[in-house]
Amino acid sequence: MAASFKPIRPLLQTGTNAASRWFSYIGLGIGVLLLLSAVQMYINLQQLLHTSPVRKNGFDYLSITRQVTNENMGQKDKLFFSAAEIDDLKKQPFITDAAPLEANQFQVELSAGNLLPFSTNLFLESIDDAFLDTLPAGFTWQEGQTRIPIIVSSDFLEIFNVFGPSYGLPQVSAETASGIPVVITCHGDGNLEQDFQGQIVAFSDRINSVLVPQSFLQWANLHFKGKQAERASRVYIKTSDANNPDLLRYLDLHAYKVNKDKTKFGRVKQVFEGIFSGLAVFGILVVVLALLLFSFYLQLVIARSRDSLRLLLTLGYSPRWLSSHVSRRFIPVYFFIIIAALAAVQVMQWAFHTQVMYNRPELQTMVHVAVIALAMVLVLLSAWANFRLVDRLIKKETGHRS
Amino acid sequence: MQLSIRSLLPTYFEQSRTADSEIWGKDLVFSPGQLVKIVAPSGTGKSSLINFLYGMRNDYNGQIQYDGQELRALSLEKLALLRQSAISVVFQDLRLFPEQTVRQNLEIKRQLQPYHPAEKIEEMAARLGIASRLDTLAGRCSYGEQQRTAIIRALLQPFNLLLLDEPFSHLDNKNTSKAIELILEEAASRKACVLLADLERIDIYPFTQLYHL
Repeated sequence: MAASFKPIRPLLQTGTNAASRWFSYIGLGIGVLLLLSAVQMYINLQQLLHTSPVRKNGFDYLSITRQVTNENMGQKDKLFFSAAEIDDLKKQPFITDAAPLEANQFQVELSAGNLLPFSTNLFLESIDDAFLDTLPAGFTWQEGQTRIPIIVSSDFLEIFNVFGPSYGLPQVSAETASGIPVVITCHGDGNLEQDFQGQIVAFSDRINSVLVPQSFLQWANLHFKGKQAERASRVYIKTSDANNPDLLRYLDLHAYKVNKDKTKFGRVKQVFEGIFSGLAVFGILVVVLALLLFSFYLQLVIARSRDSLRLLLTLGYSPRWLSSHVSRRFIPVYFFIIIAALAAVQVMQWAFHTQVMYNRPELQTMVHVAVIALAMVLVLLSAWANFRLVDRLIKKETGHRS
Repeated sequence: MQLSIRSLLPTYFEQSRTADSEIWGKDLVFSPGQLVKIVAPSGTGKSSLINFLYGMRNDYNGQIQYDGQELRALSLEKLALLRQSAISVVFQDLRLFPEQTVRQNLEIKRQLQPYHPAEKIEEMAARLGIASRLDTLAGRCSYGEQQRTAIIRALLQPFNLLLLDEPFSHLDNKNTSKAIELILEEAASRKACVLLADLERIDIYPFTQLYHL
């Protein structure tokens, strides 16, 4: 049907109830603005907090422990991780891998031999090599070997250099420390005792411990104490995003304690995600209310134009043609309102990026393509909702057969 | 296009009404080119019949079929198409847009299926004596002028069946003759069937079939 809508237009009483129409336009604008800006800020947040400062090969490694409280003190079941719990960690979609830190079951003493008057009780731990940030080629051990390669937390060297001078000990560099031969004495059941030559082969920024090869610790636990480490008090997890709110929720749910520094952005992210989600829901609500208000206006227009619409149908105008042309009249207004809201979000994004975030490289000055797509979807959705409403109203107001 | 009616009777008429009527309750076929006159005194259901045949009302028993298609079963879109291109009507109550000019009223109909060019409006209006009223609001025209407007409007579209419900009730004999002449010309050019329902008084309509409602 190639008829023109121009001669039909004066038959519709669109001038009626203009206040309700304008309120709905304003409401729609505010709602869309809220929704689009919430989505844009949500995306900004993802871009800003997706990467944490300490990352290697694209993953974060977090050490988790049980929270020690007055209630669970001394209860091994409540303070150690069971194999089932470690398996459950591995199953989570936001955790790539998990490995326990196994500890020595026997007594260990470390001394610097004759070089420095230094001796201390010590602990040794081992972990799957895949979790080490530095893995020198020499970090291996075979039965019969008296030399034990050791990886020490770089924090320990720092601490030694802080308190060393107070005890008349010299400060040492990482290279020097690596060259110092230390004696590791292992004490077993009875009078079983054996000295090993320890050598620091690397410093770890990731794992806060004294690490030896897994093969040594497993042998030594069996040799000196007759049993393997049964449970671990610390587990390392490998995750692609330490700030993932799902991960934080999981850790909170199981009361696992985690290094707060590494997840503090995640906590902030959780709060902001909540705020922006709330804002988006509020925006959707305002959009729905605005469309509802507009539907009242349309109902009134169609009710007042009922006689003309009936006569048009009687003359042979198709209901669908009338619905699409009546509803199409409002598409330019919808389009303009939504584009204006998108432009306002663009200005806000520009100001946020350049004035508030000082051109941080993680962010873009342009609004995200998802926000533009959402704006287009809203235009189509409004047009569709309008068409359906007008179609229904025309059929209802004019009766089925007239 | 062929119109057939079978056992047609308004739901609010008693079955006994079929005894005296040549239309109600009968099986009839109306074919292209026929000039049908239905004589219908007041109260016999003349306007109801026109409304049923035009698909405006469904409160009847029996069947109305166009080329074998049940009218009642047509979708709103198909019914609209039928009204645009196959069935035209002049209602007794005229049904014009009072706030539109005569020309606008005619153009609204013509643009749906432009069987005639826009200039034809002027020509037809001149033949029926309302050329000077084309730019007057329809609501300000006399009943006679409005009736002639409604007749011209019905003739601006393609049709196979033209339904006329007391189309000359506000016209004098001279204007009635002019209108009948124009209607017959237009119907002949389309080889259409004309179904005129009126009171007894029109004798100058050259019917080929006569029925008493």
